[in-house]
Amino acid sequence: MRLYEFEGKELFNKFKIPIPNGRLASSPSEVEKIATEWNKPLVLKSQVLTGGRGKAGGVKVVENPYDARTTAEELFELKIKGYPVEKLLVEPKLKIQKELYVGVTIDRVNYKVVVIASSEGGVDIEEVATNSPEKIYRKSYDIDEEFFRFDAVEVAKQIGLQSQHVKDAALIIMGLVRLFKAYDAKMVEINPLVLTAADALIAADSRISLDDDALFRHPELAEMGIEKRHEEGEMTPREQQANEWGIPYLDLNGNIGMFPGGAGFGIMGNDFIEYYGGKPANFMDSGGGPSPERLAKMLVLLDDNPNVKAIFGARFGGISRCDDFATGVIMFLKEHGLSKPMVTRMTGNVWQEGVRLFEEAKKENPELFEHFEFHGIETPIEEIAKRAVELASEQEGGK
Amino acid sequence: MAILVDKNSKIMVQGITGRAGSFHTKRMIEYGTNIVGGTTPGKGGQVVEGRPVFDTVIECVEKTGADISAIFLPAAFVKEAAIAAIRAGLKTVVVIPEHIPIHDMLLVRKEAMAHGCTVIGGNTAGIITPGEANLGIMPDIAFTPGRVGTVSRSGSITYYIANTLTDSGFGETTCVGLGGDPILGSTFDEILAKFEADEKTKAVVLTGEIGGVYEERACEQISNMSTPVIAMIGGIFAPPGKRMGHAGAIVEGKMGTAKEKLDALAGAGAHPAKTFLEIPKILKKLGV
Repeated sequence: MRLYEFEGKELFNKFKIPIPNGRLASSPSEVEKIATEWNKPLVLKSQVLTGGRGKAGGVKVVENPYDARTTAEELFELKIKGYPVEKLLVEPKLKIQKELYVGVTIDRVNYKVVVIASSEGGVDIEEVATNSPEKIYRKSYDIDEEFFRFDAVEVAKQIGLQSQHVKDAALIIMGLVRLFKAYDAKMVEINPLVLTAADALIAADSRISLDDDALFRHPELAEMGIEKRHEEGEMTPREQQANEWGIPYLDLNGNIGMFPGGAGFGIMGNDFIEYYGGKPANFMDSGGGPSPERLAKMLVLLDDNPNVKAIFGARFGGISRCDDFATGVIMFLKEHGLSKPMVTRMTGNVWQEGVRLFEEAKKENPELFEHFEFHGIETPIEEIAKRAVELASEQEGGK
Repeated sequence: MAILVDKNSKIMVQGITGRAGSFHTKRMIEYGTNIVGGTTPGKGGQVVEGRPVFDTVIECVEKTGADISAIFLPAAFVKEAAIAAIRAGLKTVVVIPEHIPIHDMLLVRKEAMAHGCTVIGGNTAGIITPGEANLGIMPDIAFTPGRVGTVSRSGSITYYIANTLTDSGFGETTCVGLGGDPILGSTFDEILAKFEADEKTKAVVLTGEIGGVYEERACEQISNMSTPVIAMIGGIFAPPGKRMGHAGAIVEGKMGTAKEKLDALAGAGAHPAKTFLEIPKILKKLGV
């Protein structure tokens, strides 16, 4: 879970990492008020949950209150990679002597925590790593190992700092390491760490990503107003609906509605459709052991989507049961109705029972099954994918 | 022979009195899995499915000789449970629940390395050695004893692959679910090394997916193996997945996309498959 810059800086402050004296504003008039009060050159920084805001024009320097207001008006109109700008962080403009980089993250290959530092800050650190890897310094340690002051001093020396700056930077690095541990972070980053003209080190930006799965042990974050959030840019209305229903869902630009079971086959099933010449309209993950109600909702998302011309369904009952699957599909057929062709296959845990439920329901209400083909273990899943592609192109051809 | 678990394994269940724990204990026993007991602190002395319940892992090990544990507990308790099992000297610990905090798994992995224990998961469907033991939550319908091993991130993919191997007459030695969490107790290379050492396993099917770094780690192992490896990666056509961010990307380099993973694995000598149905064809060609 990514934090806003201002939230990250609040956490920096808790760990005694120096930050600019900034204030948050949600309207141009607030910005103007702050600018009038402070009466000096300011930076207006768009608060969005994405990188690259500088390049997108989301950070502006202003010289006076009038300038501040008009620039703020422009910024509040801005959308950065789909994120609307709702808040600006207003900070005094720093006089920069040098920009550095310091971050802490997880090295998943080696199961270590790693402190990364560079003498080249304020730029895309990935580019630095690619173009001048010698300018990146790394120091790894185990999650339960103490990261000592002398380790931090070593990092500071390695990025070219000297005398008092070494000491100051070491304290900042220690703070970052403690914050990383204390809040179950996946990544904490100061880019740039600015050495000011007045010889002070200050965190000019913050980038923090926390582990969603560990939020339960940090109730104090919610008290600070930091709650679990959706990290993607603007969601489509369907993605929003799915999100409200708790269903992992992404709109894609094809015409085959994907109703594939768990995330593993959710990803692979989309590939199968492409191999047979089709285009998936979405990615979806039912989660482990979905309830019939949830399955019915998943189908509603697909059936209501005008881009969907045919639906591909698959269920391999592991932790879930095929009778629940059939019950969910039948619930959908009865309550909502299927308006486009659908082909599905069930196997695994009690699949025969699922097929039996379908057959019974079909006998009772044959009209509901007009567009619905179901298969059991006898048909390979590849055949189902091919059939879905066929059905979709028949529909497209018929128009 | 098989890897990790067989008919002689003595398996205990951590969280055996819980809803998921007791339900799956029953299922595992019905399959013929040798479940010897379980733990739930405060419920020592109870009996679940005819198996004794203990307060601690150490007691359970002393009384039953358990050598493998399956954890059926909420994610928040996994760190404690796994480390208790590792320190009690168990050889293998299987973490079924999902969403284990990353920092917890880093610590669990470190403990496991220090004690020579194999941790599988989190978010795994488990391990099955068909005809001998079904450890976890996999449906047994897909599996039959045979000569091909499988290792996959995802449970549903494991079922599909096993289903294909069963239908085509190859059958499976052992099927391992590595798990879907971002930080896993074991990696592809480690499981491949176990298959390589297993005489009965004539080929391995490895299935990975977009994101993460574990597939790439398998390359060196594959290039040193005499047992052929068939590789499938999900997400070839998927839009780019979530990255851990800049600093994470630096450490992990350019790893991550499905295409890059498949190319890397093929470069190391694995035989790429696009669909499940291609797998038996490749196996036949290889003379497995």
